[in-house]
Amino acid sequence: MLGFVVKRLGAMVVMLVGLSIVVFLLFSVLPADPARLTCGKSCTPDVVAANKVRLGLDKPLTEQYTTYVKGIFAGRTYNEGQGVAEIQCPAPCLGYSFAKQAPVTDLITEAVPVTMWLALGSFVLWMAIGVSGGVVAALNRGRWLDVALQSFALIVYSLPTFFVGLIALIVVIVQFGLLPYPDYYPPTQDFPKFFDTMLLPWLTIATASAAFYVRLTRTQMVETLGEDYIRTARAKGLTERAVTVKHALRAGLTPIVTAAGLDLGLLLGGAIIVEAIFNLPGVGRLAVGSVLDSDLPVITGVTLVAAAFIIISNFVVDLLYMVIDPRVRLS
Amino acid sequence: MVKRKPGAIAAVAAGALLTLAACSGGSSTGTGGETASSGSGDSKAGGTLNVFSGGDKIAHLDPQRNYTGVDLAFAGTFLHRSLTTYATGEGEAGTKIVPDLATDTGTPDATGKVWKFTLRDGITFEDGSAITCDDVKYGVSRSFAQDVITDGPQYAVSMLDVPKDKDGASIYTGPYKNTPEGVAAYDKAVTCEGKTITFNLNKPVPDYAGTTTLLTYSPVPKAKDTGEKYDMAPVSSGPYKIESYVEKKALTLVRNTAWKKESDPVRNAFPDKVVMSFSINPQVIDQRLIKSTGDDAFAVTAEGIDPADLATVFDNPQNAARATDQLDPFVRYYAINTKKVPNVKHRQALMAALDREALRKLAGGTFAGDFADGAVKPNIGIDYAPTGLWDGLLGEAVPPTGNVELAKKLIAEAGEAPPEITFDYGKAKDDQTADKAAAIAKASWEKAGFKVKLNPIEQSAYYPTVLDPAKQGSVSGAGWGPDWLNASTVIPELFTPTGGFPMSQWDDKTFVAAVDDAKTTLDRNEQAKKWQELNKQAVQLGLIIPTRFGKEQEIFGSKVKTASFGGKPYINPAFGGPSWNDLYLVK
Amino acid sequence: MQVAADHALEVADSAPALQGLSPGKLAWRRLRRNKTAMISLGVALFIILISAFAPVVCALLGVSPDGNSDLIADAGRPVSGPTLDHPFGIEPGTGKDILALLLYGARVSLLIALTSVVLTVTIGVLIGTIAAASRGFVDRALTWLMDLTLTFPSLLLLLALSNVMIDRLTALGVPEGNFSRITYLILFFAIFGWPYIARIVRGQVISLREREFVEAATAMGASRRRIILTELVPNLWAPVIVYSSISLPGYIAAEATLSFLGVGTDASLPTWGKLLSDSINYWQTYPSYLLFPSIGLVITVLSFNLFGDAVRDALDPRAGRV
Repeated sequence: MLGFVVKRLGAMVVMLVGLSIVVFLLFSVLPADPARLTCGKSCTPDVVAANKVRLGLDKPLTEQYTTYVKGIFAGRTYNEGQGVAEIQCPAPCLGYSFAKQAPVTDLITEAVPVTMWLALGSFVLWMAIGVSGGVVAALNRGRWLDVALQSFALIVYSLPTFFVGLIALIVVIVQFGLLPYPDYYPPTQDFPKFFDTMLLPWLTIATASAAFYVRLTRTQMVETLGEDYIRTARAKGLTERAVTVKHALRAGLTPIVTAAGLDLGLLLGGAIIVEAIFNLPGVGRLAVGSVLDSDLPVITGVTLVAAAFIIISNFVVDLLYMVIDPRVRLS
Repeated sequence: MVKRKPGAIAAVAAGALLTLAACSGGSSTGTGGETASSGSGDSKAGGTLNVFSGGDKIAHLDPQRNYTGVDLAFAGTFLHRSLTTYATGEGEAGTKIVPDLATDTGTPDATGKVWKFTLRDGITFEDGSAITCDDVKYGVSRSFAQDVITDGPQYAVSMLDVPKDKDGASIYTGPYKNTPEGVAAYDKAVTCEGKTITFNLNKPVPDYAGTTTLLTYSPVPKAKDTGEKYDMAPVSSGPYKIESYVEKKALTLVRNTAWKKESDPVRNAFPDKVVMSFSINPQVIDQRLIKSTGDDAFAVTAEGIDPADLATVFDNPQNAARATDQLDPFVRYYAINTKKVPNVKHRQALMAALDREALRKLAGGTFAGDFADGAVKPNIGIDYAPTGLWDGLLGEAVPPTGNVELAKKLIAEAGEAPPEITFDYGKAKDDQTADKAAAIAKASWEKAGFKVKLNPIEQSAYYPTVLDPAKQGSVSGAGWGPDWLNASTVIPELFTPTGGFPMSQWDDKTFVAAVDDAKTTLDRNEQAKKWQELNKQAVQLGLIIPTRFGKEQEIFGSKVKTASFGGKPYINPAFGGPSWNDLYLVK
Repeated sequence: MQVAADHALEVADSAPALQGLSPGKLAWRRLRRNKTAMISLGVALFIILISAFAPVVCALLGVSPDGNSDLIADAGRPVSGPTLDHPFGIEPGTGKDILALLLYGARVSLLIALTSVVLTVTIGVLIGTIAAASRGFVDRALTWLMDLTLTFPSLLLLLALSNVMIDRLTALGVPEGNFSRITYLILFFAIFGWPYIARIVRGQVISLREREFVEAATAMGASRRRIILTELVPNLWAPVIVYSSISLPGYIAAEATLSFLGVGTDASLPTWGKLLSDSINYWQTYPSYLLFPSIGLVITVLSFNLFGDAVRDALDPRAGRV
């Protein structure tokens, strides 16, 4: 069992390294001039040239990469020996944004809690709605409740998230004034306001995702309910409740956990659309903003962190498998 | 004039919302008008003024970097003082230049090349320390640090008598990184003698008091200057100071207790607090102001009303009473790149074919403004005269919907096939109006027989791209407002190779000579006639297609009133946006 | 894109259910008996057809996607709501017919989605089959590549790389403008979409490989190439159809989202995404602009989804039983 964990851990590290190289290459090789991506509006050839030196973009690629990796573990100093004030970027240094005058790590750590609350809240909601909806649909399969649940899920699922979010914003907040206008309050500071302003973003992500989990859970349940061992369980005289929850749901859990883990990981990397609509200063907004400002260090940093979340959640899902499905431990 | 940095350009992509890219403010009519600000007592003071912004922050709060019309007005009213400023009031009243930190609007010597200003008594920074001549001199010097102090106006750099190197760059490079020769040259150009600051210029500038309204001439305490970081935490010399400033969240201004009304004849400082909230969805801004409930009743915005919401506002008399619908300082036009479309007949054909009526209807019909006939807008005052462009200047009259037959005739007269037209236009990420406008332009030119390619450019990259001759297309959407009440901030900027906004790429010796002549003409009426003639020449040569003398609509919260205009809302005539200084809140 | 990922899982789960079936006719018969499936297939085909021939359909209906400022009153308002001449109304600001815009928009959206699906599936099937067939190092390397590709935050990358890549494509000789923009979208969808189907195909091929009929063929001395072509490929069409019909609406929604974020085709081409994101501005002043495009999108996506579901059910005997 320990062996399995170590093996997966190793694979995760390899994946992270591979990923950092690819991300690094994407942003260094693809653009005609990466330095041009470091300044937005006020760009002059002078600034581009200055940034090229400041960010070390004039050095060979391999050297840039090793400097970058070294920065993550040991920190890094910008403007070294260039006759201007040096800028310290302490470890873990994911780069320095000259546009925002701040280390990328700081910008990301500021944004992560917002995205984390957004992701966790909607995760809880959609799992609750999605799984219970799916179970109910499966148990009532073929009846009107099943049809209603499924149709609703399909329709919601058919609409793009931005559309659902904007409509929710316009109807719930602007038209009926049921909730306060979008803004972000940290939960530690003002919990009721935090809750009120997060409710709609949570629901927007949750409805779109829940629709999928209703379908997934239903499929799984229907499939396992048809298995022989379920019949055996029923024949043994177990209550329907015990059959559904203990046997059917648990057996069908693996794909649900896989999907949930990946979705959560993906979400932690920034919910671009919902953060934009509801004005939440999370990772997604940071990312879009840096794309608009052509702030290359931030773009690279956010991409890496977002991908790291996915890789880590993959790892967690793998560990969860061991708990759910004993067979995994043996393989 | 030295080419200005691209980002710092006054313009709106034609067809785009007013709110988006407008930089440098402008002003209008020359003379007359009373200083309408009254500051008539305590009844108007108090309360919190809320300001809604769609941006993530103010482009620049650093005085020397601030060059966006409404931001200049905002910062110049609440935070930063300059040597001179605009009076407060609707229409002509608000375009009058009055002394601010200085005791008068400056005294030139006989040559017009030496300008002296004397500072008032009792002027202080927010920490209570007196503002000295050296603080102003230091502030101006920051404009020369082109690598740190980006995006700001470059008039000081081009006008002050500091020698240029062979590339045309100033030998003085600002206070952060410089050479002894550079410092010596700057110290010679700007001198302090007690409370008197003297500017030595390289050419006579009759309207220098106009440039000193820009925050380039705002003082900065050297000890508190943090270079690039000063943008987020500048030291106030005005009636408010920054309490907190968080990007994507809010800027909160509270009263600056060190500021004294006695030493500031201009600023009313009615509200106790000013809170600008950032990153608000544009539709939400309109809806909040229309509903105007709770604290939203004390709110304004400088974003303009979205065309989609115009009907909602102006159909309802109660809403309409709180809204304004006035000319702003900007002319919207399409610049024709004379390098890519060298044949004047082809340029004229592009002008004749364009369906300006469809463009205007798209932007809101009469709310979008009047059809323009040149680069100079009537509200600039004496420098404007009708050019007669659409009444026969192109050979035949051209109705607003375009004259396709005339365009075809002009192409035939050109004697050569027209070049393929690339149309550049800027658009914010989800701005569909800009796209639709481009599609209209494309369709009209194709009708006349042009081949047209659309080149949408992301808003923030737009001007840097099109101002790079290598990347500029054949026709580019643009907008320009004068920096102060003289066409010297329009014609030379747009139509000479050394201008700051030379998107027509017009490089003609005769034209340049005529511009130089007009610029240094000291008789104002004489000068105005010369600008009028040059404006007419420019459109006849097909350097630009003027589309609209733009209008701006704003709706104020129901409890926001103006002091000098009977409580009614109006647009700041010099910069666009609400007239910040005039706003007070009813309880 | 997230949508595609989700679907992949769903499909992956159905894969084991394909075991032991004799697919073809049996499934088709089951499908034909399914009313929902037939109706949704009919609707989907109808939509593809009318949007493919949008110019003809518009001409027949007498509606035009061209602007007409005569139809616009002041403040950008259309002169009328939906009428007989303009059954879905008139676009505010420009005077274009909304029905015509919807048809032309569907054409672009479906073109992007369909091409993306074809490309994604082709790459996915190819790599999946190669991985499964080659075993050993190549298999491991390709599987790792799939995992790696799946870890990228694709929406973020798509935004970040859009300007850069469109420039690159143009430099490579792809015609400027909409052509290179659409090419970029399709390429991006394919590059980040293939691992889902590749995984499914790989699993399917591996499980088939171990099955009796393949073993029998091998024992009979059939060549590897022959086995792949005659035995494996026919067994792959089932997951491919399911995946395609279900990921297509995902791409339509993705295209709409990207239009909302400003990465997409230029002004002269209407798409569903653009109509939707623009129409929201007019929810109060001209509701039919919001109503018809969103209903159109729901119907289209729904019909593809329902058909995909039905195909999956038809291929899965157990699901059919319950």
